[in-house]
Amino acid sequence: MRLIAAIAAFYLLMLGTPAALAHHGNSAYDEKNPITLKGTVTEFDFVNPHSQIYLDVKDDKGNVVHWAIESQSPGIMVKNDWTRHTLKPGDEITITLIPAKNGSPVGFSGASIGKVVLPDGKVMTMQKR
Amino acid sequence: MPIRRIAMVLVLVSCVGGASVLLGQTGEKSGESSAGKAAPAPKRDLSGVWIMKNGPGGEGPGGEMPPMTPWAQAKYDANKPGYGPKAAPGGNDPILQCDPTGMPRILFFITPFEFATIRGRTVQFFERDHAWREIWTDGRKLPDDPDPSWYGYAIGRWEGDYTFVVDSKGFNDKTWLGAQGQPHSEDMTMQERYHRVDYNTIELNITINDPTAYTKTWNVALRILKREPHTEIPQYYCVWSEENAFTQRIRTPAAAPKK
Repeated sequence: MRLIAAIAAFYLLMLGTPAALAHHGNSAYDEKNPITLKGTVTEFDFVNPHSQIYLDVKDDKGNVVHWAIESQSPGIMVKNDWTRHTLKPGDEITITLIPAKNGSPVGFSGASIGKVVLPDGKVMTMQKR
Repeated sequence: MPIRRIAMVLVLVSCVGGASVLLGQTGEKSGESSAGKAAPAPKRDLSGVWIMKNGPGGEGPGGEMPPMTPWAQAKYDANKPGYGPKAAPGGNDPILQCDPTGMPRILFFITPFEFATIRGRTVQFFERDHAWREIWTDGRKLPDDPDPSWYGYAIGRWEGDYTFVVDSKGFNDKTWLGAQGQPHSEDMTMQERYHRVDYNTIELNITINDPTAYTKTWNVALRILKREPHTEIPQYYCVWSEENAFTQRIRTPAAAPKK
């Protein structure tokens, strides 16, 4: 019985991941190729429908690219120990996201692929529901 | 003296018995016995915060979609989801402009709801839309011709001690049945059967009848609701200004065709 439950749980977990990504418009983001960016937070919106992190990232030529990154709703973020104070303008962070397929500086950092490393080195994720 | 001793034992036994009754009645536990199995379902009681687990249909009704009428097919083709497998740039999903999510779609949402009982009603209080859906339990019949509304008109009754049956009608046709854009008409009637399996689990069966949209009854695939202990429904409203800002700053740039 326990084995069946474990298999069922594994199956449901696998179902859960693509559904969460699909919720965010899988036609827009390149979910097979996550990237990691290092930059400075300019804005952190802890709101519905999705929290948003706005990030200035220097490219290899030294030009600043303004990234707009969506994450999860506050309801999900708080289950992952986020608060509205977790990020603030000026914070230097590293963030893992899946970028827009059309090459615009927009992306999604959440579900099982989302990750942010805070200035003090603490690692934050968003996958608990 | 033996009588005194018997009396002491009786007092002790009743204290222990009373304590275990008290512990059994404090409902906001994890619902698990010490063996790790869920406690049994309470009788005629759905109270608590519940969340639908992922399953067939995802954020919409699963199971085999019956054939659509031409009217419904035209609507389905015109509905462009903003997310999911059918997603298209510039989606026209009504919830993207904060129209009420409606029934049964709100049940499939990724946020929880709470069952509560008040005078003459069982209420579902949904995090999504901060919406309050009344299910009348005072024995009334469904009205013959209710004004169409976003969440319809519902009555509920118990079948046995563990299944709560809800019959509803009177829905406007402005909502989608699910995130994939399935349409319905004002003629839709619906039955939901909430079967409490154990303390933490409800099996939900939904049946949709809508001859204007579908040529047969839609027996929606079974879905599971799990109880979320120690959860309070957050204050969440769909806010047009926030949705619009999100669309302008994230959705539209992400979905724009490649230059």
